[in-house]
Amino acid sequence: MQPMSKTAFYPRNEIKRGMKDSLPVIIGLVPLALVLGAQASQKGMSIAEVSLMTALNYAGGSEFAAVELWSSSPDIALIVAMTFLINSRHIVMGATLAPLLKHLSYRKTVPALFFMCDESWAMGLNDARSSSRPLSFSFHYYLGVALLLWFNWVAFTSVGALIGPTLTDIRAWGFDMVFPAVFLVLMRGMWRGRSFALPWVTSLLVALGAWLWLPQGWYVPAGATGGLLVAYLSGGER
Amino acid sequence: MVSFDAALTIALMGLATYSTRLIGFLAVSRLALNARATRVMEVAPGCVLITVIAPRFVTGDMGELLALAITLLAAIRFSLLSTVMISVISTGLLRHLLG
Repeated sequence: MQPMSKTAFYPRNEIKRGMKDSLPVIIGLVPLALVLGAQASQKGMSIAEVSLMTALNYAGGSEFAAVELWSSSPDIALIVAMTFLINSRHIVMGATLAPLLKHLSYRKTVPALFFMCDESWAMGLNDARSSSRPLSFSFHYYLGVALLLWFNWVAFTSVGALIGPTLTDIRAWGFDMVFPAVFLVLMRGMWRGRSFALPWVTSLLVALGAWLWLPQGWYVPAGATGGLLVAYLSGGER
Repeated sequence: MVSFDAALTIALMGLATYSTRLIGFLAVSRLALNARATRVMEVAPGCVLITVIAPRFVTGDMGELLALAITLLAAIRFSLLSTVMISVISTGLLRHLLG
């Protein structure tokens, strides 16, 4: 660790900073959570089941898929396989965090990774990369983002299940565009020159193709590995 | 209440998802990465993020494509909060006007 200004990196301040930076994400998360809860209750899930699922699984994409496949006697194997497939991207995400968390013990990192979602992971990474201290991942900043998002996700999916059918179609309001917006801003922060374009465009195109022509869920591992393969094959030069 | 089938499904979903969060991290955490692997790790986050939003680009709806274009342009220029505001407002307006 390098010398730092007196208060800037105290854990409590870093947690607060993470929570504050999460605000734009929460604008999109709340309506999406309400919709998931409402859809789940229409499929016959109880409020307790919705809370339990969003708290223990905590991965929105797979939860929408699970709700779609839900019934009074759910096909457990299918739902669990779909969950793994859609969340397979976490494998890559966790791997990218590993070099940045090397200085921390598993006792800290393994529980913290439970709360890793697309947004908390990308914001933590982006914060580390835009920091003046190279490769300095702020663990408490990440925790601030991750815990606040988790809490809001569980709370508002439960509220959605409670108010259920009275919820009107929020898609009409444009809130579902928050996540593409957030992800694109984060990608701008990750851009390190033209050599990034080829793998990213490859991921986009492979994901598009897989979405159109492969069974549900396969576009996630297909798109991610497509881009990584191109990045690997194009070698170490930049 | 929570039925047995629901509890079992949710518990297994939770385990499957948590395993995806740990596998990659544990596999790489004790390795020293060479230059090529480091470069792949740098590019990987963008590959994942663009993959997740890729299905949004599959639409024949002009208003939807226009909203995506505005979002993309805003994301290149503005902060996170401003981009989100611009994106939500323009998407909502376009859907009302063209939908």
